[in-house]
Amino acid sequence: MKHLTDEQLVEHFLNEEGANRVVVETHLRICSRCEQAYEEISNAMEVRHPEPPARERGYGERVWQSIERPLRPYPAKPKSNGWFTWPRMVLLAACLAGLAAAFIGGSIWERSRNRPLDAVNPAQAKERVVLVILDDHLERSERLLVQLNHAGGADANELLQAEARQLLPDNRLYRQTIAENGDPSMTAALDHLERVLQEIANSPNKLNGADLERIEQGMNTDSLLFQIRVLRARTARPEQKLDSRKGASI
Amino acid sequence: MAKDDHALIRAVLAGEKDAYGVLVARHGESIFRVAFRITESEADAEEIVQETFLRGYRSLGDFDARSDFRTWIYRIAVNCALRVLSKRKTEAVVAIAEEYDDERPGVQLAHGGAGPDRLLLDREIEHRRHAAMEKMTADERLAFVLRHLEGRSTEEIAAALQVTPNNAKQAVFRAVQKMRRSLAPLWVKS
Repeated sequence: MKHLTDEQLVEHFLNEEGANRVVVETHLRICSRCEQAYEEISNAMEVRHPEPPARERGYGERVWQSIERPLRPYPAKPKSNGWFTWPRMVLLAACLAGLAAAFIGGSIWERSRNRPLDAVNPAQAKERVVLVILDDHLERSERLLVQLNHAGGADANELLQAEARQLLPDNRLYRQTIAENGDPSMTAALDHLERVLQEIANSPNKLNGADLERIEQGMNTDSLLFQIRVLRARTARPEQKLDSRKGASI
Repeated sequence: MAKDDHALIRAVLAGEKDAYGVLVARHGESIFRVAFRITESEADAEEIVQETFLRGYRSLGDFDARSDFRTWIYRIAVNCALRVLSKRKTEAVVAIAEEYDDERPGVQLAHGGAGPDRLLLDREIEHRRHAAMEKMTADERLAFVLRHLEGRSTEEIAAALQVTPNNAKQAVFRAVQKMRRSLAPLWVKS
């Protein structure tokens, strides 16, 4: 039989063995040697020790009075000046950060709102460049149509034909670009212009007065000239519009 | 509503000296009990109580706010009691071997109606008990008193002695063994 150790017996006396209590109690019932050892421990532990004499009521206060005199108060911590405590400083910093963010955000928003058209985004800027170039193209085309309507000598016709040949590839590109961007009226006008330019540019012989008249009437170049003037008004730059308004007022 | 110990400590550290008086009033008697259990002398216990609270006041700036004030002040009391025991041993090295001094306070165990045999046995028991207490080391004695007489938990004892709970348990065990060995001859006789 495995006997209990003295340590286990002391633990048993002090109620510290936890879950093993039943095992220890069972063993003590059947093992006289361990029972005797436990009795010795119990006797030793149950010996009376001197009891502390009772203290009078207010004993603690009396002790305090006896030791109070030589004790110096701890230096009082300096009181914080109202607002400058940590939580308030953090709150203040958060408010200032919020104000700064609102100011910066507002100024950015204001700037973006007043930005000219060409600086809003890359796509719009690109469109703006196209419109400027197109305006030049339309201006040249308008001049060509005016010359066509008032064509005279053979030299003038040659110049007209050369100009049409220059304008034709550019016009094709503009038409395709405008068609992709979805502007039907502009696309239709450029398509009409392209056919006129092709007719002039691709004529196998030198153009004479009859040819020009045929083109002018057959392709309704008067109408085309009007359309181009309208388109030019749409594509004109803001400063040009302003200049034109100034001129009108003068 | 009574302030808790930590609020009182904060008040003391903020300059309110009298708040410490509340702590002394609250814990004074329990410190006296422990001091008496260890020293078995009323005068020594009184002295220990005063010294404990004086030291406690001066060290209050080092008090860890996460700790329990009672355990903390116990530890100071235990250190004061150790000094008293140590001083007593150096002053009376032969005291253990001497005959029991029946003038010591608090050791008269027999009641008025006991016969001469019983009186003699009681005196012998008290002599051996006292001798066993004197044989204990300081830690063993403190652990024994706190666990067996004051009913403190092993964890509290460990905190007061600044040892691990297992070491505190071992200190209690060794103290019990010393007490048992000292008193065993009497049980055989009886």
